[in-house]
Amino acid sequence: MAGIIVGYDGSDGAEAALRSAVDLSKRLGERLTVVFAFEANPVGGEALDYWAALREHGEGRLAKALEEAKAAGVEAERVLAERPPADALSELARERDAAMIVVGSRGERPIAAAILGSTPHRLLHLSETPVLVVRG
Amino acid sequence: MESASIAAGGGSVESGVEDKGLKRNAIGYISNVVIGVASTAPGYSLAATLGVIAAVGGIGLQAPAVMIVAFLPMLCIAAAYYYLNRADPDCGTTFTWVSKAIGPKSGWTAGWAIIATDVLVMPSLAFVAGQYTFQLFDWQSAANSKWAVLAAGVIWIVVMTWICWRGVELSARTQQILLSIEVFTLCLFAVVALIKVYTSAPADSIKPAFSWFNPFDISTTHALVGGVLLGVFIYWGWDSGVAVNEESENPAEGPGKSAIVSTLLLVGIYVLVTTAAQAFHGPKLLINNPDDVFAPLGKGVLGSGLDKLLIIAVLTSASASTQTTILPTARTSLSMARNRALPGIFGRIHPRYLSPDVSTLAMGAVSILVFAFLVVKDQNLVFDAFTALGLGICFYYGLTGFACAIYYRRHLFASARNFFFIGVLPILGGMSLGYIFVRSVIDLRAPDSGAAGPLLGLGAPFVIAAITFIIGAVLLLLSIPRYREYFSRKAAVVDPKVLEPPPPPAAATEGS
Repeated sequence: MAGIIVGYDGSDGAEAALRSAVDLSKRLGERLTVVFAFEANPVGGEALDYWAALREHGEGRLAKALEEAKAAGVEAERVLAERPPADALSELARERDAAMIVVGSRGERPIAAAILGSTPHRLLHLSETPVLVVRG
Repeated sequence: MESASIAAGGGSVESGVEDKGLKRNAIGYISNVVIGVASTAPGYSLAATLGVIAAVGGIGLQAPAVMIVAFLPMLCIAAAYYYLNRADPDCGTTFTWVSKAIGPKSGWTAGWAIIATDVLVMPSLAFVAGQYTFQLFDWQSAANSKWAVLAAGVIWIVVMTWICWRGVELSARTQQILLSIEVFTLCLFAVVALIKVYTSAPADSIKPAFSWFNPFDISTTHALVGGVLLGVFIYWGWDSGVAVNEESENPAEGPGKSAIVSTLLLVGIYVLVTTAAQAFHGPKLLINNPDDVFAPLGKGVLGSGLDKLLIIAVLTSASASTQTTILPTARTSLSMARNRALPGIFGRIHPRYLSPDVSTLAMGAVSILVFAFLVVKDQNLVFDAFTALGLGICFYYGLTGFACAIYYRRHLFASARNFFFIGVLPILGGMSLGYIFVRSVIDLRAPDSGAAGPLLGLGAPFVIAAITFIIGAVLLLLSIPRYREYFSRKAAVVDPKVLEPPPPPAAATEGS
C-alpha cells in the first residue's frame, strides 16, 4: 500500500504543503495521511500538562487539516506523533511504503536551518522515501 | 472517516495504531544520566556556592562535609519524586501532585514556590554568566563593574529566554559533549590542584585532612544548617533526571541505574572539587571571591590558556542551568493555567514554536526586573537572594516529600519496601528540609545574616524570602475567589493500580 504523507503544523509552509498533497492525492488516487509531530525537551521536568497541551494543540491542527482536505474532496487519515517531526515522517513513510512525503518550507537560510533545526532539511537527509518540499 | 492517533500518553487515541516507533522515545540510560547531571549544572553550582558556603561563619574547613550532608535530604526527596512520577507518568508536575495529595491551596503554594525560587536564582545565574564572560576575555575592569555585569547579565537572560521561547534544542549528542567537557574540566582542575598542593605547596595551601569530610567537626549546628541550606542548591534539579521515565527491563525495580550513576557522579564531583579548591589557596580565597571563585584559582591551577577551559565549563553549565530554570517555571505556570489556578493566558502555546510562549516570556521579563532591581540597589543582594532561594527549595521539596507519603497512605503498610521507600524516606526528607527551613528562617532574621546590610532591621535574605512569601500569600488570596472550581477540589489518594506489578515489557514503555 502506498499513499502520500504530509507533515502539517498549521504554519504557512504547512498550509502550502497540505494543498499540494491534497491535489496530488486526488490526481494520483493515493491515500492521504496528515501527520502532526512534536517533541518536547524532557530536560527541566514538570512536563505532564505541557505535553497534554501540545497533544490538544496538535489534535486541533489535525482536525482543521482534515476539514480542509475534505472540502477539497479528499478523505484523509490523521496521525499525532510524539517524536521529532523528521523521524516521525520518515518512519511512518517507510513503514507504510508511502509514495512520497510532502512538507512545507519556511524559506529558512541554510545556516539558520542548521542551528535552529529545520524539518525539511533533516528529512531530505534522513528519509528513504522521496520528499517533496513546498515553499510557503 | 478513517482516523488514527498515536500518542504516548494515550489520552485521546481514537484507534491505537500499534507502532512503537512513533511514540515518544523512552529515555535511554546515558541520556538520563546526562539529563540528571546537566539539569543540576555542577560547574555553575560550584561557581555560585563555593565562596558563599566557605563564608558561612563556623563552617571552617568542613565545606566538603557540607556537600555530603546536603545530599542526604535530596536523596530522600528523590524517592518521593520517583514514586509520584509513577502515579503520574511522563514527568508529572509538583503543582499537580501536591494539589492532588494534600489539596489545592497547598498545590498552588507549591507552584508559587517553584516559580518564585526560579525567579530568585536568575540574578545569580545572570551575574555569574556576566562575570565569567568578561573573565573569558581577561577583561578585568568590566568584570569588576556592576553596570557592565548588569548589562551582560540582562543580555544573558534575554538570549536564554529567546532560546526557550523559540524552542531551540541542543541535540542529545551536543548535550553529552558539553557535559563531558564540563565534567572532565572540573575533574582535571581538582586533580591538578591536589597534585600541586602535595608537590609544590602554593601560597596558603593546606593538605586535605579526614576532618574536612566529617560533619561532626563543624563547630555549631547553626553553621551546619547555614551550609546545608546553600548546599541543597547544588543538587537542585537532580530530581528531574530521576523522575524522567527510563528505558529499562523492569521499570518497577526502583530508580534505575542512571539515578545511581548520576548521584555518584555529582557527589563525587562536588566533594572532589570543593576539597581541591579549598586546599589550593586555603578557604580565604574562596571567601574573598564569592562571585567568581574559579577565575583566580584557574590560572594558578591550570596555567594560562587552559584556565579558560574552566571558565567555558562554568558558562556552558550556567546556560544549561538557566534553561532548566526557565523551562520548569514556564511549564509550572502553564500547568497552573490549564488547571484554572492562574489566568488562562499562561497556558498559551506558541502556534509555530510550540513553546508555552506567554509563560516563558513572562518568566524572562520578571527575571530581568528582579535582577536589575537587586544589582542597582546593592549587588550583594544577589547573594542574599541566592541564600533566600534555599528556603524556597526546602519548602517545596519538603512539601513534595510529605505529599508522596500522604498520596500513597493506603499502601504504606503493604510491604516493608513500600513502607521504607514511599513512607520513611520521603517523610524523613520532608522533616529534615522542614527543620533546615525553620532553623534558617530564625538564623537569617539576624541583621548581619546577609552579604548586604540589614533591611528594615532584619537580615536581607530573610527580608527577600518574606517579601516573596507575602506576594505569594496575596496572590493566593486573590486567586481563591476567582478560581473556585480549582480551589474546591478535594485531595485524593493514588490509584491502587500504580503499585501493581508491571505489565510485560512490551507494554511497559507506553507510560500509561
